[in-house]
Amino acid sequence: MVRAEGLGRSFGSLWAVRDVSFELRAGEVFGLLGPNGAGKTTTVRLLTALIAPSEGRAWVDGLDVVERADEVRARIGLLTETPALYERMTAVQNLDFFGRLHQVPAGLRAERIERLLRLFDLWDRRNTLTGQFSKGMKQKLAIARAMLHEPAVLFFDEPTAALDPEAAFIVRDALETLRTMGRTIVLSTHNLDEAARLCDRVAFIRGQVLRVDSPARLRQAAGGPTIEVDLAAEPGDTILGALRVRPGVWSVSATAGCLTVVVEDVRTETPGIVRALVHAGAEVLGVRETTATLESVYFEVMCGQPSSGAFAS
Amino acid sequence: MIRGSILAAIVRREFLEIVRNRVLLLSVIVPPVILATLPILLFGVLGTTASRVPPNFVEMVLAGHPQWRDLPEDQLVTAFALQQFLVTYLILPGYIPLAIATYSIVGEKQSRSLEAVLATPVRTGELLAGKSIAALLPGLLAAWLAYGVMVSVAGLVLGARMACVVTESTWLAAVFALGPAIGLVSVAAGIIVSSRVNDARTAQQIGGVILLPVIGIVVVQAVGSFVVDAPAYLGMAAIMTILGVGLIRIGAAIFGRESILTRWK
Repeated sequence: MVRAEGLGRSFGSLWAVRDVSFELRAGEVFGLLGPNGAGKTTTVRLLTALIAPSEGRAWVDGLDVVERADEVRARIGLLTETPALYERMTAVQNLDFFGRLHQVPAGLRAERIERLLRLFDLWDRRNTLTGQFSKGMKQKLAIARAMLHEPAVLFFDEPTAALDPEAAFIVRDALETLRTMGRTIVLSTHNLDEAARLCDRVAFIRGQVLRVDSPARLRQAAGGPTIEVDLAAEPGDTILGALRVRPGVWSVSATAGCLTVVVEDVRTETPGIVRALVHAGAEVLGVRETTATLESVYFEVMCGQPSSGAFAS
Repeated sequence: MIRGSILAAIVRREFLEIVRNRVLLLSVIVPPVILATLPILLFGVLGTTASRVPPNFVEMVLAGHPQWRDLPEDQLVTAFALQQFLVTYLILPGYIPLAIATYSIVGEKQSRSLEAVLATPVRTGELLAGKSIAALLPGLLAAWLAYGVMVSVAGLVLGARMACVVTESTWLAAVFALGPAIGLVSVAAGIIVSSRVNDARTAQQIGGVILLPVIGIVVVQAVGSFVVDAPAYLGMAAIMTILGVGLIRIGAAIFGRESILTRWK
């Protein structure tokens, strides 16, 4: 649905992004993660045919973003960082204007406007000037605007960046709705929680794509599913040996009465590990599951330094 | 190629914005009302001062306007006074489009609403044309409407001969040829200046420089040193149109997607 090959853009002698390559499948929610200035917005602008690449190529719905820019823009919906609504116009007038720009026929336009405003709980405020809307309502209307022409791909550039927690919750809820509807979405964000919750795959960007994978696989690669076991006493070699021989156990380490066991699967391995410990004479005080967070993976990838707190319960 | 439906959508939206923006709406409505009524007020004053006309005044006026030889002295004074208001119908199509264009573009810069528009299949030529038409039309309509009112009032209050004075070829060339040309230059100046500043009033002050030559016409006419006739107005209209087209081309380059997104701050 979206493909980038060695995509790059420079401004003067400075490269905003370079060597961006990934492929996005239909129905996938794909996150672009990175700090401010990492090139996320530039990447979104390149993929939405708003600016031309300095190098590389990209396709949206099979169309080259440079050679067929007008057609690409007809197939994408973009939610910019700010809602960018016309505040002296009502919700319906805003959507109607953009529907006209996309040349949606009048009857269909009216039908879709009503459907989208109802979907986002804005129908009752349809004739209110958008200048009187709350931030969350504005962002929801901007999402409706991006969907009005039923684009093949939706691009959301920092949709919750400038919102208070309540408004951000409303927008995330709207994104969840789109996700369940099977829409293909590119979500640019530096909110790792949001990405972990909404994205099927994420790309870490910092001037270039550093890593692309699903949040689950990234977490797994950063340490895998882990069980921490609190013991009454420091475990001896017998106890450690009893665990290391188990096929589903990848590694075992001990620190001051606490065992850290990296396993293939927490649910299947935990009962056997507890039984093995008791059988080896250990006194088990507590067992808990821990996983690496996307945040810890993010810092590892971005800073190249796995922090001591890379694992969190 | 410009698509009519998209152009119409942009013009319609711009008009909606003008109607809902009180400051802008007032700047479109108030000047024509004042400029249409001001001559009438002045005629009342002139009625009492005609007897104090300087001795060489009549010769000076007739030298520039030989077609007024049949006018009695008091009507000659009125005709000369009316002539000074011609320039107001050149200022209106210059000032109003400048105000609308600057408000429109600076407003979009401030709200960052252009990025969402640019992410649609709209071509920047269509966007520029739509904004230009929406800025130009109110100025022209206001000037022409005010001119129509002034001609009617001149006919009703001052008589048919004075109505003929304000519908001479000089007036028609100025109002219907030079006025639109000034409007074109004004819109182009508004677009160019607005891309570089973030405040509509600053943009208007800078863009307003283009109105200075128009004010110059008032001065030279008032002192009677130079009479601008119909061919001169048509010549100026041609020059201004060429200038306007050139500036619009510069404006179109500034109005490119990349420029707006990466250089407009």
